[in-house]
Amino acid sequence: MSRLQSAQSSRRDFLLRAGVTAVGVAGMAWPVTAQEAAPPAQPEASTGAVTMSADSYKPVSRPPKPGAKPSMDVRQVEAFERNLACPCPCTLDIYTCRTTDFQCGISPAVHGDIQRLVDGGYTADEIMEALIGTYGDFILNAPRKQGFNLLAWFAPFAGLALGAVGIGVLLRSWRLNSRRAAEAQALRDVASASAQASGTSDATAELDATPDELARLQAALKDDR
Amino acid sequence: MILVGELSLWVALLMAAWTTTVSFSGGLQGRADLVKSGERAMYATFFFTLLASIGLWVALFTHDFSIKFVASYTSANLPKVYTFTAFWAGQAGSMLFWVLILTLYSAIAVFANRNSNRGMMPYVTGTLGVVSLFFLMTTAFGANPYERLDWVPIDGRGMNPQLQNPGMAAHPPMLYLGYIATSVPFAFAVGALITRQLDAQWLGAVRRWALVSWFFLTIGIVLGMWWAYVELGWSGYWAWDAVENSSFLPWLTVTAFLHSIMIQEKRGMLRKWNVTLVVLSFLLTILGTFITRSGIIESVHAFAQSNVGNWFLGFLIAATALTAWLVSTRLNDLQAKAELESMVSREAAFLYNNLVLIGICFATLWGTIFPILSEWVKGDKITVGPPFFNSVNAPLGLLLLALTGIGPLIAWRKASVGNLQRQFTWPVIAGVATLVVLIALGMRDPYALVSYLLAGFVIGTIVQEFAKGIGARRRMYDEGLAVASVRLVARNRRRYGGYIVHFGVVLLFCAFAGLMFKTDVTAMLKTGEKVTAKDPYGHEWTFTSQGLSSFEQLNRRVLSVTLDVTKDGKPMGLLSSEKRQHVNTQGEPTFEPSTEVGILESLQQDVYLVFTGAADRETAAVHIHFNPLVWWVWFGGIIMAIGGVIVMWPQAQRAEREGGYVAQIPMGRETEAAGAGA
Repeated sequence: MSRLQSAQSSRRDFLLRAGVTAVGVAGMAWPVTAQEAAPPAQPEASTGAVTMSADSYKPVSRPPKPGAKPSMDVRQVEAFERNLACPCPCTLDIYTCRTTDFQCGISPAVHGDIQRLVDGGYTADEIMEALIGTYGDFILNAPRKQGFNLLAWFAPFAGLALGAVGIGVLLRSWRLNSRRAAEAQALRDVASASAQASGTSDATAELDATPDELARLQAALKDDR
Repeated sequence: MILVGELSLWVALLMAAWTTTVSFSGGLQGRADLVKSGERAMYATFFFTLLASIGLWVALFTHDFSIKFVASYTSANLPKVYTFTAFWAGQAGSMLFWVLILTLYSAIAVFANRNSNRGMMPYVTGTLGVVSLFFLMTTAFGANPYERLDWVPIDGRGMNPQLQNPGMAAHPPMLYLGYIATSVPFAFAVGALITRQLDAQWLGAVRRWALVSWFFLTIGIVLGMWWAYVELGWSGYWAWDAVENSSFLPWLTVTAFLHSIMIQEKRGMLRKWNVTLVVLSFLLTILGTFITRSGIIESVHAFAQSNVGNWFLGFLIAATALTAWLVSTRLNDLQAKAELESMVSREAAFLYNNLVLIGICFATLWGTIFPILSEWVKGDKITVGPPFFNSVNAPLGLLLLALTGIGPLIAWRKASVGNLQRQFTWPVIAGVATLVVLIALGMRDPYALVSYLLAGFVIGTIVQEFAKGIGARRRMYDEGLAVASVRLVARNRRRYGGYIVHFGVVLLFCAFAGLMFKTDVTAMLKTGEKVTAKDPYGHEWTFTSQGLSSFEQLNRRVLSVTLDVTKDGKPMGLLSSEKRQHVNTQGEPTFEPSTEVGILESLQQDVYLVFTGAADRETAAVHIHFNPLVWWVWFGGIIMAIGGVIVMWPQAQRAEREGGYVAQIPMGRETEAAGAGA
């Protein structure tokens, strides 16, 4: 039942609440004023703005191996570059970035470095190590499966496994509840049968189904026959 | 009008504060007059937010460049339609747009419940007031769209060319409509928790709003995919970008809720879990907004870094703490007598479905925030990109697809062996037949094969369900096929609308699997030169350059390359891609040049041309992609939206049954019921 009462607010009440509201708003606004005193933020860019910083590019070079032959063909280089994140803020891989837009100066430069290393006879693993040595793990489009990064890879599956165990426990407890209820019902049925034997009945079940459900039920019963 | 709009923003702020104060105090003191005042103040908050929004639109259309927002996102030569959509093109305007939708939803929720849920409504209104107050404060103090410049520029900076696209005009509003709709179920959850009225009554109102949220999030996400595909020029529609992930997270939890709510409605179980999902959906919306607007995670379409992020972080922490406290102190009220007759039942299937949905949600959230975690713990910046998300989420997605087919085939309470055999036979045959045909056609990719096997299975399930329902109606009521089909859906919109949504999901999975076979070719083409490439179906395509052309169009200078396309020697028409340099009214370039791709669409595949640049006046660098089944993504999205509308459409009273699909036949009447249709 609702606790609401019908009552009129007096003018005094109104002014008091308005005052409390105003003080509350002013109080909440206070930290904002303090924030505004902080140094101004960067000029606001619009959605989708991507700024290319030339500082993001770091040359990666090694002297060619003696008698070097290219270690990968064009398709292999493309596949290799798909595993590398472009250091510009495009969030694309090197291959996609360099073949999508000429505005990014970084991905073509990184591609140039990779191609020179490929031509210099360096293997994919060696090129990858060289790139990681220069850019760090940031250049990889996905974390390496080692050390702390293992957490990235296994936590989702560990979470899922934990959830599955939790659901298993939950379902078992529900099953247990059901068995207990069934046992209790069996006892009630025995009592009811005794009562019927003595000439009384309390069966009051109702039909609760839509015509579609009844139609399906009939169809299923017909199929069974 | 601009001044009225600016002042209205502050009045709306005061109104929201008033709503919050009097609604909560009215609820606590049991004062109907205060509760009424709070509800009226909610309407007033919407009214003044609307005035503030109209004021900003007027400023945009009158090119009042003394306003920083107008000068930052529009120019005098910006087409009218994009002048209108500039409202949500930047941080400050989009915040006001958010508040506009939030207060509109709040006003609708309050009005719709003016005669119902009266016990909890003061707290629902109060909670909506708190959320509105927070967003209004963030707008007024943190990102005010009416902020003035010290001087008035001759022209504005203009809109980012990538936002001058129909997809971007519709995508943000749809997403906002979806995001913000989670606020109403959240407010009801808080109201129900405070008043301890945690029975099934509040779920009725919540379910409708959850559906609204799901519906708009679905449309918003698919529109965002379409925009990314046609505008960003990288030939993909989903990059697992932090901002994309932010929209995906609440979609997953709302989807989980729409399934688990059925268990509470039918069996009274999962009360705690449903409250948790409602709260989680709202918190993930705030988290997503924090990620998008704080600049904490690098993203191609995040807003610029600003102090607004701190506001969202504070609100997120406060909302999480408050709701955690509310739930933890109401655990006894959320207890339900839960019974399960069998592990093989619809209830269990829904639980597995929820587990997988939340698993995908967790994996996506984890991958999104892991770079921050890594930087905190190790001090190293790392990238968590598509290879991670694809590796982790692909198996979970396939599991979900399997459950999409399995769930509807299992009976509530307990499925017998005979029932399982009957139900599974045809769908399994459909799945296996699909697999055999694809292997015979030469497909070997294991992930793709599993995807299509499951797709065949789920479609088999859906067709079987419709066939049984239609067949039963035809026998029962002697209806024709068309009438029986329409009435079947109309009389049980929730169930069959849900199947239509499932069909849309299957199409999406088919499209995702299709992308595994995409191929591409790059070339430098002089006028008259050609490049030949094979598509994934083995057809040979030839692209002959017709040369470069430059011209001026609207507010841009365009450099275009046109290719003459043939497939196996048959002409397929011309395909053009453009480089656009947008200019202001002085003819000065604004922003970097952008790429407009050319797409030759078909059900089988898209031929996607990207003009990556001109080496000289005659030579164009092009990147041509063959993207299989992309059209199926848009088609799947449309089907899902149609299914969503069917599910949302109010059911006629006569067809409603509390018991839903579970027919309870009273003892002694089984024969009579069965005999009626014989």
